[in-house]
This record gives sequence, C-alpha cells and structure tokens, in this order.
Amino acid sequence: MNSDKITKSVLFSVSILILMLAAGMVYSLVGGAIPAFKAFGLNFIISGEWDPSEGRENYGALPFIVGTLLTSFAALIISLPLSFSTSLFLGEYYKETKVARIIGLLVDLLAGIPSIVYGLWGFYVLRPFLIDLGFGGQGFGIFTASLILAIMIIPYATSLSNEIIRMVPNDLKEAAYSLGATRLEVISSVIIPNARSGIVAGYILAFGRALGETMAVTMLIGNTNIVPTGFFQTGNTMASVIANQFGEADGLKLSSLIAIALLLFVITGVVNALGKMIIKKFS
Amino acid sequence: MKTILSFVLAVFLFTSCQNSPNSTNKAGESTKKVSITAAGATFPMPYYNLVFKNYTKESDVLVTYGGIGSGGGIRSLKDKVVDFGATDAYLSDNKLAEMPASIVHIPTCLGAVVIAYNLPGIDGLKLSNELLEKIFMGEITNWNNTALKSNNPDVKFPNKELTFIHRSDGSGTTHIFSDYMSKISSKWADIVGTGKSLKWPVGMGAKGNPGVAGTISQTEGSIGYIGSEFAFAQKIQTAKVQNSSGAYIEPNIASISAAAQGEIPADTRIMLTNSSDPASYPISGFTWIILYKEQGYDGRSEAQALGTLTFLDWLISEKAQSDASKVNYAPLPPLTVEKAKTILRSVTYNGKTLLN
Amino acid sequence: MESINTLLDQDHSTRRLLKDKLVLAGIILFSLLTVSPIVLIISKLLVKGYRQISLDFIIKNTPDTYEAITAVANGEIIPGGIANGIVGTFLMVVLASALAIPIGVLTGIYLYENQGKRMSNLTRSVSDILQGVPSIVLGLISYLWIVKHVTMGYSALAGSISMSIMMLPMIVRSTEETLKMIPQTLKEAALALGVPYHKVILRVLIPTGFSGLLTGILLGISRILGETAPLLLTALGSSMINLDMTKPSSAIPLLIWEFYNDPNMVDLIWSSSLLLMAIVLILNIVSKQIIANRR
Repeated sequence: MNSDKITKSVLFSVSILILMLAAGMVYSLVGGAIPAFKAFGLNFIISGEWDPSEGRENYGALPFIVGTLLTSFAALIISLPLSFSTSLFLGEYYKETKVARIIGLLVDLLAGIPSIVYGLWGFYVLRPFLIDLGFGGQGFGIFTASLILAIMIIPYATSLSNEIIRMVPNDLKEAAYSLGATRLEVISSVIIPNARSGIVAGYILAFGRALGETMAVTMLIGNTNIVPTGFFQTGNTMASVIANQFGEADGLKLSSLIAIALLLFVITGVVNALGKMIIKKFS
Repeated sequence: MKTILSFVLAVFLFTSCQNSPNSTNKAGESTKKVSITAAGATFPMPYYNLVFKNYTKESDVLVTYGGIGSGGGIRSLKDKVVDFGATDAYLSDNKLAEMPASIVHIPTCLGAVVIAYNLPGIDGLKLSNELLEKIFMGEITNWNNTALKSNNPDVKFPNKELTFIHRSDGSGTTHIFSDYMSKISSKWADIVGTGKSLKWPVGMGAKGNPGVAGTISQTEGSIGYIGSEFAFAQKIQTAKVQNSSGAYIEPNIASISAAAQGEIPADTRIMLTNSSDPASYPISGFTWIILYKEQGYDGRSEAQALGTLTFLDWLISEKAQSDASKVNYAPLPPLTVEKAKTILRSVTYNGKTLLN
Repeated sequence: MESINTLLDQDHSTRRLLKDKLVLAGIILFSLLTVSPIVLIISKLLVKGYRQISLDFIIKNTPDTYEAITAVANGEIIPGGIANGIVGTFLMVVLASALAIPIGVLTGIYLYENQGKRMSNLTRSVSDILQGVPSIVLGLISYLWIVKHVTMGYSALAGSISMSIMMLPMIVRSTEETLKMIPQTLKEAALALGVPYHKVILRVLIPTGFSGLLTGILLGISRILGETAPLLLTALGSSMINLDMTKPSSAIPLLIWEFYNDPNMVDLIWSSSLLLMAIVLILNIVSKQIIANRR
C-alpha cells in the first residue's frame, strides 16, 4: 500500500533527526574539546587536579566524574522507594479517585519548580534542617545535593510509571484475582512484569535528569574541585562545574569544560547501557 | 487537534509580523529603528538595568543587556553577536591579540569588593594587611586569635571557628579581590595569584555574589568577599581595610570614587586596587564596556554604529552617572570621563570617526 | 482442631493478607512522604510571595533597581511585574513544543513499530543519552548553531531550539512506552479492516494512548518552563515585551536569575516562581480535563 510505505518512511526519517541531532552535537563539542585533550591527553579523564592559576593551568575530570556518579546514583536510590510507591498508589491502589488526582497533581507540580528555586529552597530550608539534624559542617555536600536531586527527579519516575501501570489490561488482573491472589500478589506477579519496560524507562529518564541537573546541585554541593572522600563531604559534578565556570572561561579552561561535557555524553551512554543489560539479566 | 494547530499557526503569523518596524521616510529610504544588544558582567547589572531602561524611555532605542558573566561578554563580542560587551577585568595584551580586531575599553562606573563577615554585635572590624593574609591563607582559624585582638583592642572576640567563604564560579569580583591580595601580600602572590578563578588554599565555595552573601548571613563566624552593592543592600557587616597610605577606610561611594582620582592610562586599562589616593578604598575597580574600534564589520550599518556610540556617550555623561550612587555604585570622576569621551571619539566607521 | 486450621491455612492466606496490608500501609506512607516536599516548597513560596501577586504583576514589565530600593525602603511592595517574561516564555514554549511534539511523537511511534531492530535500539539509546545532557550544554549548542550563524545575535529562536531539544527525550520515551501498553488486538483489528497505516496511528493508537502521550508532553513543558542556564546563552533577556523571535527575549526563569543577582529585587523571586507554578497547575488541570472529556 503506497500510503503505508509513505507513512513508514516518514517515521523513519523523523527518527533519523534525533540521530543527526546527537551527531551534530558531538561534532560541535569535539571541536571545542580538542585543545584540552591535546594538552592533557587521556590522562584528563583520571586526573584529579584542577588548577586554574594562570601560567600553570592543569585540568582533570576525575573529581567531577566521581561527584556526578555519586549524586545521581544516590538520588536514584533515594527516590526509588518513594516514586515507586507513589506510582503504585496513583496507578493501582487509588486509581481514578479524587485523592489520586490531588496527589498526582502535587507530584506533577514538582516538575514545574524552576531548578533555581529548588536550589534556593535547598539553601534556605534543607541546609539548616540538615545542620540541625547534626550532619555537621555547613550543610553543603554530596548528600544534600543528592537529596535535592532525588526530590527533583521524583515526578519523572512517578508520572511515567503511573501512566504505564494504569494501562495494564484489566482482564489480566481480574484473572489473577479470580485465582485468589491478594492485591500485593497481583501487583508483583501481573502488573510489574507487564509494566516493567515502562517503569524502567521512567527511571532511565529520571536518572538522566539527575546526571544533567545544574542549578540546584551547584548551589548545594559546596563546589570543591577535589575527589570527595566521604558522602557528607563537599564535591562537584560535571554539570555543576560547567555551569559555574562557563561564564568566565576561555582558552584551555573552556576547552576542558567542553571536554567534560563530551565525557558526560559518554558516561551517560555507558551507564544506561549497563543498566539495561543488568535489568535484562534479572528478567 | 485542529484547534491546537490553528492556534500555533496564529501565534507564528502574529510574531513574524513583529519584525523590527520598518518605516520609510520622505526620501523613500527604509529607516530601521535601532536596537542595541549587549552582554557581560553581572557585577554592574543593577546599575545597567536602571540606566539602560532610562535611555530606552528617553530615546526610544531599546537596549537589551544580559548578565552572563564577563567571559560571556568577551566571547559575545568576539563572535560579533552583540553591539558591545561588558567586563569587570580589562583584557590583557594576550587576550587583546586573540580578538579578531582591535577593541577599546570604556569604563562606565566604579564598584568595590568588600570584606564581609558575620559576628553579631561586632561592627567596624579593622583588618590590617597582615591579618588579611593570615585569614585568607588559613593561618587564623578562630576569631579569638591574638593577632586579631591586638589590632582591635576594644573588641571582645568570641571563641568561634572562622570560615572563609569564597566564590566557586569564575568572577570579576574574585579578580579584583585577588589582585589586591597579590599587591599587599607577596605570599599570596606566589601561592595563589591573581585571576577570575583560583586554587583556593582554604575555604568553601558558594555560587555567585548572592551565594556568598547568603552563606555569610547564615553562618556565624564566616568571612568572605562580595561586591559592594550586595553588602550595602543587605546591610551585611563589612570590615575596614588599610589603603596604601595606611589609613583604615570604610567602603562607601566617596571612598570608592576616590580610587580613580589617580593617574589613569589613556586606554583606561588599569586596576584601581591599592590606589595612591589617601581617601580611597583599596579594593575598588572600574567596570568596562568593550567594543570594536572599527565599527564597519560584517555588514554592520552606520546607523547601528552611530546608535551604539550615541548611547555610550550618554552612558558616561552626567545624566547617567548621577544615577549610579542612587543604586550603590560610584560614578566616574571627571578626569576618567574625559578619557572615555576621547576614546569614544576615536571609534571609526569605515575609517571615519562618528562622534565629535 | 489444630489440623483443620492448618489445613484451611494451606494457602498461607493469613500471612499473605498480612503482607498485603503491610505493603499497602508502606505505600501510603511513602506516597505521603513523596508529597511532603512539594507541600513544603509551595507553602514557602506562598508565604514569601503572595504579597507581590496582583494584576500589575502580570501586565507590567520589570522594575529597575532604583524602584525596588525605594519601595523596599518605604516598606511597600516592589512595583512592576514580569509581563516581558511571561510573553517571552509563552512564545518560546509554543515554538519549542511545535517542534518537539511532532518529532518526539513520530519517533516514539517509529520505535514502537520497530522493536528490536538495530536502528531503533540506537535511536532509543541516543534519546536516553540526550536526556542526560546538562541544559547549559544544550544552550551552548544552540548558541553555536543559531546565535552565531542563523540569527547573528541572541534570539528567542535560539532559546526555543534549546528548549525543544530538552523536551524531546521525554516525549519520545513516553510515546513509545504508552503505545507498547496498548493491546495488540486493537491495532490488529484496525489493520485487518483495511485501515491505512497512518489512519491506524491517528485514529486508533494516538487516541488510545492519549493520556500517556500527554503526560510526557506535560513533563517536558514543565521542565523547560523552569530552566535558566540555556536561556542565558540564547535568549539573553529583555526589559520589554518582545514579539520578534529573531531578537533577544525575556523569560520567567531568566527574570528569576536577574532578581537573584540583584540584592534589591530578591523578593520578586518567590512571586515569579508562584506564577510559574500556577502555569504548570493550569496546564495540568486543563490536560486532565481534556483526557476526561475524551472518555
């Protein structure tokens, strides 16, 4: 059928757009990153030095790579039980009720808060709260940043999972109930396996969001350009250092920042691929 | 679905009709209204927003300014996507050589970097040059240190940890601060140096002037450096520091302006820290606007160039400068204005000067 | 007697029911915990920002520092508003959505129809990676492509482009996953009736999956409404309302950034954020209504 062929090729060409977009981005970034790799070589990736002093500039990406991975994973782990419970709450337990509508709305509102406001709220409310709880120091650090990230990514994981869980066909669930399964068992043996792909997609999106968040993290992480040695220490992330230094950077420093952006691309890809492999193993 | 599509279409047709209004004058030539775009330092942003808006009201020329940082301003000018850039640190000879064509610096106002701290009940702290070196290089870690006491004998210092809050992002404020520190402490000059971004020996980083000011306000026993307009507006405690004559000076509009009373080179590229004027506040500095000396580049119209220069001429005039102190910035002293005027009148379009 | 009880309990029903109730309690607890930050944040915004909200706030342009200083000194609320930001945000979001929604949805459909093929696996992975790119890097890309070469200057168009790239991964993924949950039988029935493929998409798949699609779109829009960093490098800002997409434009998050950097205008941050949240709220309510009407 001709119209089918046309439809198929339209779909195909549009999807290529994303690939072209990514390729174009990598190309633009590589151009800017070359001076840094020329100057430091592959050592750039594992070097923990960050010295912007004129005349003896030396940059390395390790502190930021570690900071990014720590904060993003911690945020994912912290938000997992919260968002998973909430998506079950909204999509299964209290599906279509008024309570669910209100809670769903509140969760969606979380996505609409500007990241700078998250940073401010974290700075003025969360930080003193953590200091009161006895976490010492000034309240800045990897932990604080992870906490605020966890809150920020909840809507991404929850909303998508919620929709997917809602769409599990009723007849599958009813079949399980008719066999005497409890609610919990229907969830674990019918809903989750059926909705697994969508739920995982939600978490991948949430994780991506955590990797790339700039403003809120940069206001709470303490911005020390060293590899953190403890979870409550200050540190820095790749996105945050780019946002912090980009306005004033030029020459070798600018190139190093662009190189870090490129590395983030690579790391995101690697972590995503690893995650998908692990999940496949578990199914 | 259809309604949404027609809505979006309507928005587009509407906006595409709003391109810069073209009108034709009697001779039939199209006269486009000039609008000016600029980007750069966040430090003078409150002042720029005020005077740029006033200019737009007076002259009907829209001036848009984006506070993206001095580096962003330099980059934007380099990429020729703005009419002029704004920077807190003048371009060194190396940096000048990297620009595609020669540029000129026009100072627009003065600001200062103040040493802010949080010690309830203790105002007007005096910090000598030696004390500054010791504090910011980490040798003094508690406020009840004897060196502090001997410099401020009337003050009862608490037993409190001293925390240094510095900038985590690159900034012109850091540049001015470190330039001053390098001038008064050879130890600082050797180990830390001058720059927009430094490898700090001690202390914690906060983002932006608001970040440092906010952290200091919230943390008892902290000390750091922030732009003067922040300290004035939020009534943060500021320390008195010694100027080149040894006197302890408080930062205010008069003492900041005094820093520019000394000798200034013709191209106005000079750091005003530790200025020779006996009434000057030692951590002051210009903030500049940079633009190309030859304005006839890349299809730039003469009208656009003239509009830019007319605006800049207004910016250094009495009208705009008198607004500076209203918003806690210091106006340019008359000698500097003269130099700036001369520079503006040397800017050319296709070889001939535009203003006279 | 005991043996009868153990016989009756052979299916461990008491234990299972207990587990069921415990998990439900846990889920309710966690859900409430999840919602607590939003309640805290919104109440903080309300407390600090409600005084500033008025009709003026929505229709006037931003005040300058001097007006703010005098107002604060006199104990009044700061005059002016954020009309330039509201209009700028609106125009840029509409353009960004007009670009991202068709491309995202169509790509999602492609991925759904071509499960397991190498090309679609690649596209899906690339889309997921794009989600992790910091917004400032997207701003840089848009600066390099649009500001430097297309509009020769800062522009709202560049801002929209960076926004649309930010929205894409979300829309692609939510479209694909939503469509995957639609029972195959529905699609097969339509195809068996001889309905051309593009009509199957438009009349069967999209309407059935509308709720999920809209969720992804809403999430995308909510995110771009509040992002500052990319706009600093693309739209730059403006003190007046600007309708020309090839010129710099203001936006609400840009204004929040300006207020943050000006010690005299800090109070305006809270009311601007409240306005942004109100916009997100309205969008959410309207879309839920649309979905409800379709049922």
